[in-house]
Amino acid sequence: MTSYVLRRLTTALVMLWVVGTIVFSVLLIVPGDPAELLLTTGGADASTDAVENLRKKMGLDRPVAEQYVSFLADTARFDFGDSLIDGTPISETIALRLPRTLELIAVSMVVALALAIPAGTYAGLNAGKRFDRAASAVNALFTSIPGFVSGTLFIYLFAQVLRILPAGGYVAFAQDPWMHVQMLILPTVTVALHLMTIIFRMTRASVLEMRAHDWVRTGIAKGLRRRQVVRRHILRNALGPVITVVGLQLGILLGSTVLVEFVYNWPGLSGFLVSSVQQRDYPSVRAVILTVAAIFIAINFLVEVAYSLLDPRIRLT
Amino acid sequence: MSKPGHQIPEDFHALRQVEVNMTVKTPEFSPSRRTVLVGLGAGLTAMALPRNASAQSMKTLRYGLSTFPPSLAPWETNGNAANTVKLMIFRGLMGYDQDAKLVPELAESVEQPDAQTLIFKLRANAKFHNGEPVTAEDVIYSFSAIMAPESTAYLKASFQNVDTMEALDDKTLKITLKEPSAVFTQILANYCAGIVWAGSAEDDPIGAGPYTIKSQEKGVYVELERFPDFYDAGQPLSDTIRFIAYADENLRFAALEAGDVDVIEYLPWQQFENVRNSDRLEISATQGPFMLVLFNVAKEGPFADPLVRRAVGYAIKRQDVIDAAFAGNGEPLLGFPNPKGSQFDLSNPDAEWTYDPEKAKAMLAEAGYPNGFDCTLLATSTYGMHQDTASIVQAYLAMVGINATLDLPDWSSRIKAGKEGNYDIAVHGLSGFYNDPDAMWNLLHSGDANYVRSFGFSSERIDGLLEAGRAEIDPAKREAIYKELYQAYYDEVPQVPLNWRTQAHAFDSGSVTGFHCFPGWLNGSTAYVLDESAVS
Repeated sequence: MTSYVLRRLTTALVMLWVVGTIVFSVLLIVPGDPAELLLTTGGADASTDAVENLRKKMGLDRPVAEQYVSFLADTARFDFGDSLIDGTPISETIALRLPRTLELIAVSMVVALALAIPAGTYAGLNAGKRFDRAASAVNALFTSIPGFVSGTLFIYLFAQVLRILPAGGYVAFAQDPWMHVQMLILPTVTVALHLMTIIFRMTRASVLEMRAHDWVRTGIAKGLRRRQVVRRHILRNALGPVITVVGLQLGILLGSTVLVEFVYNWPGLSGFLVSSVQQRDYPSVRAVILTVAAIFIAINFLVEVAYSLLDPRIRLT
Repeated sequence: MSKPGHQIPEDFHALRQVEVNMTVKTPEFSPSRRTVLVGLGAGLTAMALPRNASAQSMKTLRYGLSTFPPSLAPWETNGNAANTVKLMIFRGLMGYDQDAKLVPELAESVEQPDAQTLIFKLRANAKFHNGEPVTAEDVIYSFSAIMAPESTAYLKASFQNVDTMEALDDKTLKITLKEPSAVFTQILANYCAGIVWAGSAEDDPIGAGPYTIKSQEKGVYVELERFPDFYDAGQPLSDTIRFIAYADENLRFAALEAGDVDVIEYLPWQQFENVRNSDRLEISATQGPFMLVLFNVAKEGPFADPLVRRAVGYAIKRQDVIDAAFAGNGEPLLGFPNPKGSQFDLSNPDAEWTYDPEKAKAMLAEAGYPNGFDCTLLATSTYGMHQDTASIVQAYLAMVGINATLDLPDWSSRIKAGKEGNYDIAVHGLSGFYNDPDAMWNLLHSGDANYVRSFGFSSERIDGLLEAGRAEIDPAKREAIYKELYQAYYDEVPQVPLNWRTQAHAFDSGSVTGFHCFPGWLNGSTAYVLDESAVS
């Protein structure tokens, strides 16, 4: 086990190095100069002279090899450096914003699970009946509406017409808990809707499949109560694939909440990544991508460990 | 940024608290239960009252910005949102009053004994946020930093006209210019000309504006707090201004409609009608920046010929650009862009482009292109208005035989292509920063290759007229010079103007008082109005 963990750790480090190097090179290839972009914001006429001076200030006039080596050395010391644009420490910004994205994802996931699993189970058990048909139709509808569209509609309805919820934004929970919750509602619903469609479909299909197995018939035949059959013999087996999908989605959401964050002005990590890319704030872009990559690798690792704990047939060697 | 300024209001509240406690003690002690109760009641009321009063006086104006200020460095230009916030923190020698009239700001008066000398008398009570008085030395420090060789300042080139700076005493400053300048005081009122305390650390510039930064979160908001020692005791009116960034223009408008903010900048053109029809919201708009066509005249080919460029001017129906890209909110611009609010009327129908495709075709034939030609048209996909304008221009050029292929890279690549001359023609939007024809200098005067000018274009005639207009103080003579420039612009065709576009702020008229936007190219300096804006 120890040697396994060591080996995985080494692989993880190599993977992070590869990711970092790829990001570093891609940013070099992408056209655009942070100094020039900053000084021409809004179409201003930046003089060549001012742009050159700012490049020097940002340290972009150093040779690429030197920049690369200092990037590796800093990252190895967990020092992401300062933003090129405003000089603020990048790790602070990430520490501030990552929890918000995680909060959005976690709350949405809980809401989605709480609604979609019972609904999916019920629809699967009563396939072809009225509820199943209605739920599947609604599901198909929401699957085909992307988050930024439903988001815009929600804002129009709840903020502009009914005026019962704020249009977007963020207030820290510590500062104003009630406002925080209000601002969380619409983004959560938007992300959760999308998740629900996936979880609902998966649960329904899985339940439908399990329902047909022999042991279910046996259970009913030997006189078990319906609830017991459903809970012990159908659901427990049906949830395996659902959990795999949920795990996958958690990882995907980390990168894909960006549209929802943008629509609702939710200041999470992906919004920071997008603005950093737009401003060509190289160190910020690298830091965010490395952070996300590290989380991905960690999740994968934990999943493997969890598998081995749950299923003795799987050995980690 | 300015910690000392931050401390003062807290102490102020502490003082008020002391007063409260004293009123509680005031009722005389008496054994009667009734009196005690009355006294307690009075005490509670007294305790409650100031709290209410302070809640009422803590008026926060919430302002929806189009983007989070990338940086608040005082002398760099970092876009309109940054300039707005900067103007609340830093102020210069000159400024604008509520009617957008140029007035002394941190200076109390300015005298001009001769065309090349300016003597500024600084306000006796002007203070920086750390409590230090604003002195002539601080001004010299700030302007020297703007002019320094390693400077990244927006106004570096404009300040090269300064010959000497001399502190006659603590509060008197003499500046001599290399050339007389009709617009130097306008430049001093720019949002990138703020005076900074000479002892400031490089990364913590201390200003003397009406507000200090109370708190901020990168990408989200900046909250400013009234600076109690601002030179104008009656201003600013709002205790707090909270600038909140809404990058999405529709969300920005939704936030205004939902009551999340009181004022927004850059009202999207599609929402003008909604605001006009609203009982609660009001619009304040001006014809601000202008859209135009730029040419690469350095390249061998048709656009090196002014006749072809002039033909382009006749080929485009401007109202269609306004309707398609700006939802009808703009005005056709037929000749030299003389900003709204300029003191001169330069219009001259003989030097203007009206829509006349036949004339355009005839000119193309005369230039040797009777069957038209192919070219590339550069714009950017980053800004919808640039892209839409380019599409209309492309369609109209096709009608006179010029087949343009659209090239729509992102903003960053667009700037690079413009600067390196990788285009035939380009569509762009531009603005000056004061309402005078001289503000066209950066866009027309020859110099280093820059994406705001036609690549490779230089005209001695236009350069000469710009220089003469700037160096002339007499308004009547300046008007004559700029009338000639108006003609030269038509003859030499450094650009083809398309239209003014309407730039609008929207606000909640029920709660906001004293807000309106500045006219023409001063629109970017509208933040001066926030001194007298308040919410109820």
